[in-house]
Amino acid sequence: MPIMPRSIAAALAALALLSASAAAQQGGAQGPTNPRMLPDVSAVGDLVADLSPKGSTQPDLSRFAVREVEVALQAVVDPYFRGDVFLGFSDAEGASIEQAFLTTTALPGGLQARLGRFLMPFGKQNTTHRHDLHTVEYPYIIQRFFGSEGLKGTGATLSDVFAPFGFYQEFMVSVTDRAGERAEGLTPAAPANRNLDGLGYSARLRNYWDISEATNIEVSGSAITSLREQPLALPAGAASGDVNAVNVRQSVFAGDVTFRWRPLQQGLYKSLILQAEVMHQANDIPSVVPPLGRPGPGASAPPLAYAGPTSGYTGGYVFGRWQLSRRLYAGARYDALQDPEAEGARFTAGSALLEWYPSEFSKLIAQYERTSPSGGPALDRILLQASFAIGPHKPHPF
Amino acid sequence: MLARLFATAALLVGIAAGDAGAQLKVVTSTSDLYDIARSVGGDRIKASHIGEGFQDPHFIEAKPSFVIQLRNADVWAFVGLDLEIGWMPLLLDGARNQKIMMGGPGYLDVSKVVPVIDVPRGTVDRSQGDVHPLGNPHYWLDPENGRRIARLFRDKFSELDPKNAATYTANEQAFEDRLNAAEKGWQADLAAIKGKPVVAWHTSWRYFAEYTGMDIVAYMEPKPGVPPSPSQLMAVVAAVKRTGAKVIIMEPFYDRKLADVVARETGVQVLILPPSVGGTPAAADYVKLMQYDIAQVAKAVK
Repeated sequence: MPIMPRSIAAALAALALLSASAAAQQGGAQGPTNPRMLPDVSAVGDLVADLSPKGSTQPDLSRFAVREVEVALQAVVDPYFRGDVFLGFSDAEGASIEQAFLTTTALPGGLQARLGRFLMPFGKQNTTHRHDLHTVEYPYIIQRFFGSEGLKGTGATLSDVFAPFGFYQEFMVSVTDRAGERAEGLTPAAPANRNLDGLGYSARLRNYWDISEATNIEVSGSAITSLREQPLALPAGAASGDVNAVNVRQSVFAGDVTFRWRPLQQGLYKSLILQAEVMHQANDIPSVVPPLGRPGPGASAPPLAYAGPTSGYTGGYVFGRWQLSRRLYAGARYDALQDPEAEGARFTAGSALLEWYPSEFSKLIAQYERTSPSGGPALDRILLQASFAIGPHKPHPF
Repeated sequence: MLARLFATAALLVGIAAGDAGAQLKVVTSTSDLYDIARSVGGDRIKASHIGEGFQDPHFIEAKPSFVIQLRNADVWAFVGLDLEIGWMPLLLDGARNQKIMMGGPGYLDVSKVVPVIDVPRGTVDRSQGDVHPLGNPHYWLDPENGRRIARLFRDKFSELDPKNAATYTANEQAFEDRLNAAEKGWQADLAAIKGKPVVAWHTSWRYFAEYTGMDIVAYMEPKPGVPPSPSQLMAVVAAVKRTGAKVIIMEPFYDRKLADVVARETGVQVLILPPSVGGTPAAADYVKLMQYDIAQVAKAVK
């Protein structure tokens, strides 16, 4: 996915030209506002500072970082599709295609298909861009199961909205090339997606009720399954490029509930969100592991030992946010999980934060967090985030 | 899957055929459009609205239950001029209803039939606050625009449901007759308001001011959508003292504490005025809304 970092400047220059052209065509008094049908061009900057007392807790140990700049190009393609492209630029990954998808606009029966790369419709917070979260980072259960940037997929998703029982329901099914990022350095005997049963398959059912004019609740469930590369224990002297992984089925099941309160008349000043999400990761154990050797036929060395996960992991979080004034919010989150990065050892974290919106287009967060890994010392973290959006930024999903 | 798609399509065709004589399903973004649509459509339409009259129409939550409302709508009528830009795209995307998507027969941007004021000239950017690049969207607070909206609904409903066109025409005329009669009744109030200085919280009263002749000498917001700052409060206090304004007009969804600060400093009256139908029980329909607002302002400035 990452492309050459030096392409960043060229890409930004092209986008600047596009933006300038879009601006230049404004001003026709009575004609269409976009006669050349140029796409909406917008950008989001996501800046993070880590002032933790015992040193930075960021992967690159930076105290101040531009975590990501995301540039979006969005437009209707034709009478049948709209197109959305999100390009991410970061010091860590260079430039990458964060999302790029076609969405159908003309399927019958309320069906909608999406083709391309997108945030997987799995769980609640995973469907929100990281810079749009109410916390600086994703909940730990998402970070540990899917990575710090959440779960994305490349493939297709089909969804339908219906209300046979008088309330809103949406069902989404997806098939993707794989579920989650490929683990670096793992080489299985064959790609996980060689057979169709190795692809990523997911489903999500959303259920939404208005409890009253001011309150509502959403209860949803998700599941995803695919083959994932899991490590094998290599004997000493194994060569680079040898088979060192085996494809094993991994499935994740999730349930989430979100309660919202926002009085209509005082909605500018008062609101409350309470949210909880639980996930369980189930890991199969391979009955047969491949022998040591290079991928392909003819390998005849003795089997290796399986070094991947041998049990399931469960975790979740609860989150709440209370609006203090028109621009200021206070929030807290508690995470608890069996950490897959520590063989299931208990990991907990509690955080409190203040979130300030100078406007709809800028946001500042100050967050204190205390993480408590089982058997390890607690760690205090102080994180600051500033994010901003320029251009015609689309509204955030409800 | 293909079989299911065909079955769904066949079901929809069947439902559409069976619905040929049914009411038009009309969803509007605001309660004002809803009330005018209902006046014109009568019992030939089934109308509903998204925003309430006491709610800030800029900041409505795009709740999934609204998606269900829009999913089966024949007409989606909205104020336009980017008033609903913060939530409408989500609802339309979610509803997946081609009839009410841009270019569809039921996509009704009501702003197309009104003369728009406050269209910015030159460069526009967000340093100017929540400025509307296409012009001020609060046009329904001028009764002449109320008539234009009614005529637009008459034409749209007649286009989609031609066999009831005569009913829509008669209903629209009845609406105008009722508005005309009410208008005659509030002429004395208009005379009392004309030329009187007032303070407004937001630019939502500009069309109302054009109609009534009241003179907005200051805004509580330093820029549209930006909450009053201490320096702005001082500027408003100075403006009230300089012009003799007797009233601060504000919508029910803003916090009146800061208006009360100005009131304490100057003795000005804080008048909570509904900008939309249903914003207060007395503003139960469009004509009553105009009647109530004009009467309240006249009483305050006398």
